[in-house]
Amino acid sequence: MKNRLRALRTERGWSQSVLGDQLDVSRQTINAIEAGRYDPSLPLAFKIARLFGHPIEDIFDDQN
Amino acid sequence: MSTEQANARFFKVFVPAMVIYVATTAGIASLSDRHTLPPYVLYGLTLVPIGAVFAAFWAQWRFAMELDEFLRLIQIKGTLIGVACVMIIASGWGQLERLADVPRLPVFWLLPIFWAIQGLATTFISKREGVF
Repeated sequence: MKNRLRALRTERGWSQSVLGDQLDVSRQTINAIEAGRYDPSLPLAFKIARLFGHPIEDIFDDQN
Repeated sequence: MSTEQANARFFKVFVPAMVIYVATTAGIASLSDRHTLPPYVLYGLTLVPIGAVFAAFWAQWRFAMELDEFLRLIQIKGTLIGVACVMIIASGWGQLERLADVPRLPVFWLLPIFWAIQGLATTFISKREGVF
């Protein structure tokens, strides 16, 4: 699934590790989500959406 | 819990468990060869390596539960590949033993085969998924 996670993260100047710490997941997991190799669970997607203050569908795009 | 902490907790149980498993397995085999102990004592002693294997799998379970969802998925995929390969080898070789005159494969080897395949599969999947 395509997503805007990398853009949102870099806008805030966070590294993957910093974002991972805030979401309680590993840097590897952030990297896999950003690269589109892994689709997060619904609870993790909600956590991401809340952290960035965007609706889930603004961050994750399941149409393409 | 961080991945590093989960790793450390896993190896803290897994390594001693495997050392105990190998040492007691070799020790029991040596005692059995010397015929110095009655069979029921040897049967009782085998509870030690069995306990070590139980501890190793418990550590594996706890490790998977302590990882985050993406890394846990990799561990579970590796474990499933290990189980599938062991089942294929066991049932395939079992058929050959039943129908053809192939040498007997001691079931003792299924555990080391499982760990080897599980380790290789997990490493391969981790590399493919960009974990390292």
